Amino acid sequence: MKLGNLIISGIVTGSIYASFAACVALWYRVSNILNLAVGDFAMIGALGVDNLVRVHHWKLAPAIAVMLAAVVVFGYLYDRIVLRLAQDGRTRQEGIVVTFFFTFALSFFIEGIAELLYGTDVHAAPAVWSGQSLSLGGGLHIDRAGVLVVAFAAVVGIALALVLRGTLQGKAIEACGENFFGARIVGIDNRKYRRLLFIVSAVLACVFGILESPITGYTYNSGAAISLTGFIAAAYAGFQKPGKAVVAGLGIGILEALLGGYVSANYADTILYALLAAAVLIRPSAMGLDVVLE
Amino acid sequence: MTTATTTATRSGRRWSSADRGPLLSTAFVLIAGLIIAGGSADSYFGSVVILALTYAIVTAGMAVQIGFSQQVVFSQSVFMGLGAYGVAVLNENAGWPSLLALVAITIASGGVAWVIAKAVSRASGLALAVATLMFPLIGFGYLSYANWLGGSIGFSLTGTLWPGAASATLNGILTVLIVSAVVFATTRLVASDIGLELYALGVSENTAQAMGVRTSRRRLELFILGSVLATLGGAVYAGTQLFVPPTLVQATAELSLLIMLFVGGRRSVLGAVLGAVGIQYFTGISNTISVHILLIEGALITVVLLIEPDGIAGIVKRLWHRAAPHLPFAALAAPEAVLVPSAITGQDGEAGISGELAIAEETQTSEFRRHFAARRADEAAATTTLLEVRGVAKEYGGLVVLRDIDLTLPQRGIFGLCGPNGAGKSTLLGVVGGSVRPSAGTVNLAGEDITRLPASERFGRGVSRTFQAVHLIRGRTVLDNVAVACLRSQRSSLLRGIVISRLARAREDAMEALDYLGLGELAYREVGSLTLETQRMVELARAMASRPSLLLLDEPASGLSEIQRERLRGVLRAIGEVTCVLLVEHDLDLIAAVAERILVLESGALVFTGTSEEFRSSELVNSLLIGASPTTTLGGEH
Repeated sequence: MKLGNLIISGIVTGSIYASFAACVALWYRVSNILNLAVGDFAMIGALGVDNLVRVHHWKLAPAIAVMLAAVVVFGYLYDRIVLRLAQDGRTRQEGIVVTFFFTFALSFFIEGIAELLYGTDVHAAPAVWSGQSLSLGGGLHIDRAGVLVVAFAAVVGIALALVLRGTLQGKAIEACGENFFGARIVGIDNRKYRRLLFIVSAVLACVFGILESPITGYTYNSGAAISLTGFIAAAYAGFQKPGKAVVAGLGIGILEALLGGYVSANYADTILYALLAAAVLIRPSAMGLDVVLE
Repeated sequence: MTTATTTATRSGRRWSSADRGPLLSTAFVLIAGLIIAGGSADSYFGSVVILALTYAIVTAGMAVQIGFSQQVVFSQSVFMGLGAYGVAVLNENAGWPSLLALVAITIASGGVAWVIAKAVSRASGLALAVATLMFPLIGFGYLSYANWLGGSIGFSLTGTLWPGAASATLNGILTVLIVSAVVFATTRLVASDIGLELYALGVSENTAQAMGVRTSRRRLELFILGSVLATLGGAVYAGTQLFVPPTLVQATAELSLLIMLFVGGRRSVLGAVLGAVGIQYFTGISNTISVHILLIEGALITVVLLIEPDGIAGIVKRLWHRAAPHLPFAALAAPEAVLVPSAITGQDGEAGISGELAIAEETQTSEFRRHFAARRADEAAATTTLLEVRGVAKEYGGLVVLRDIDLTLPQRGIFGLCGPNGAGKSTLLGVVGGSVRPSAGTVNLAGEDITRLPASERFGRGVSRTFQAVHLIRGRTVLDNVAVACLRSQRSSLLRGIVISRLARAREDAMEALDYLGLGELAYREVGSLTLETQRMVELARAMASRPSLLLLDEPASGLSEIQRERLRGVLRAIGEVTCVLLVEHDLDLIAAVAERILVLESGALVFTGTSEEFRSSELVNSLLIGASPTTTLGGEH
């Protein structure tokens, strides 16, 4: 039964990785930037809601609404000020500096804000759906929060697939991914999609953080590891196929849970990162990484 | 012409930039460091500076690897940890003196880096960047629970860097000496011929490869260099601080290192050193800063990248360029006023570029000119086979781009290759140039099978090329852009660049090629400031500078006006007299005017081969390329 329960908890975290991976892959298509800060939005969502409810005695619903609104505003401003200057402005920059360093810095900036506002303790947002974990029969259990996470991931996944396949907007995003400048020439404003998808990613991450935090709890620097794992899953799909990224994200989540359950609780994450790094190093072509920068 | 004056300024330039820079930077670091370390190492200020200098060792390496060569990695903090923990363990557990441990661990780190980088040397730099992003997480995750290394608290040692140093002064002086040596080595490297290779690699891997740079080898060496210097910095850290915390390895430590690099100036070694000292100093003296370090660093790196991507060094450089003309010694520093040479503008009518080449023939001063004069005089060249392509085919996952291509070219003459869009012209050029591996068939150059050789090796055998979109190295002068093709350092190791630079020699060769094409007066202009036509001419000069036996030109006329094309014709004809040119071009008039034989490619197959006369009158060619009768569209000889 241990195995079954580990797989269930792996699917819960894996579905977060998978959603993040899809977001990273999609945003890379329209912006040519890797979003290394997506996990930090999850962290700030969870800690922010916790702070409003626990310290300021707000009700849960308005606390969530305010945090989501704050993330939207922040995402909008970040795009308007930083990304616009970085990609469209006079000092427009190209290549690997833009690809990595802006979001790398953003990740630490958000951590800095969280450290300033919420301190360094581990906290969790109150459970949206409280109560004991649900029994699935045969000794298998799943947290209510876990059910919400998986359900939300499924909704997000289906919605993204429908938008990409079925709408003109989706086609435009595909086109940005196929050819950045070509898309611009035929009148697709990739800046608009860059902004839209950045904000959508941030909001989704925020929701995931709020939903999941009752299971693991977050502190100011929990975000980076989640971003990186989602990022690796996206890399596995060559930043081009959100579907494949989802599968990779689920796989990594399950692997992480199994390592924690069977190998070492202390070193589970470390071993996971080592395996992922080794996978990138040994088979970069399988990761689709060698073509990305062309 | 102005050959005498350009030679004079040239030698003056060479001295100021290449040889004096590293010495000045090193002297500055050495003297300033010794004053602080010797005078006040035991004070709080002195201790902060010594700590900062250990970081400066790391950031100097980052300036070469990440800034100058644009090979992004996130593993510096982990190698710093390797150096620090290595020295601590060897000193405390094995009883080695710290200085000996420092040497041992620094050498060992080179091996570790080699193994890691070897695994990805075939793929792009992105894979290395992605993999190393996880290194700080792995390192910190391991150290936090590794009790034999002090776990989450850290590891203390007793052995100071200077054996038995009672005061911090001797440790400080030793640190300053190490930093100065690192600054000297890295600035020498950056200013050398190999430094130019590294810069080209950073701007465009494809271009660098086409100019003979062995890019995967250089990437490997860069990773080793950056990692070894990070390890050295960590080792000095252990020997001076006598305590190694696991937070040294954290992702936030990596961020701090990047901040130091970007604030100081990522492409400047001295900037990176000053950035390390400045950032470390301010975090050391102000409690507010150190408490909110994440917030401040995250914001700072963003602001620096937006305002001045080259950091403080970039700002200083910009101010200097603005102020230099007004200073008393302006004659030494100011860039000469450059006029676009008449040969390019054609302003004085008859004296076009072909006129310039005629002068070249008469004087025959340079080795470069003698080489081409000999080629021109060689009567057998027009008939001896140079390139032989046999049965070449290329498929991309079922899509056939080239099928069964046979092609033979002699040592001299212009051969046009045209065809509709998607016919496979650029792919065929890639197969000959080495950037595309054919699915079947062979490519022979002067009797040697080069089918499996990469572009960089073919360059060494005389294959040179230009690109459809201009591929110049931004941020460098015209002279350096051409000098890339004149380097003979491809087979040397990175370390050789520190010891001897042959960049001056390469620049002299480049100058000859520029003079040959009448571009000598543009030598010290930054390439980004030139018009498209001149950029194309510089690219042509670069392709010619290596004295190629086979020149591959991919649409040299695209984007040029009618008058500019007219001038290009003159240049091409002159080049065709001395070397073999395979010219891909959409401008059929241009091709018909200069090529002695024209090949037409359609859907991956050669469908026509003939002289320009046959080309003009061919029904097939006209229906394929123009869709009209020959008389209406294809103009006669100009």
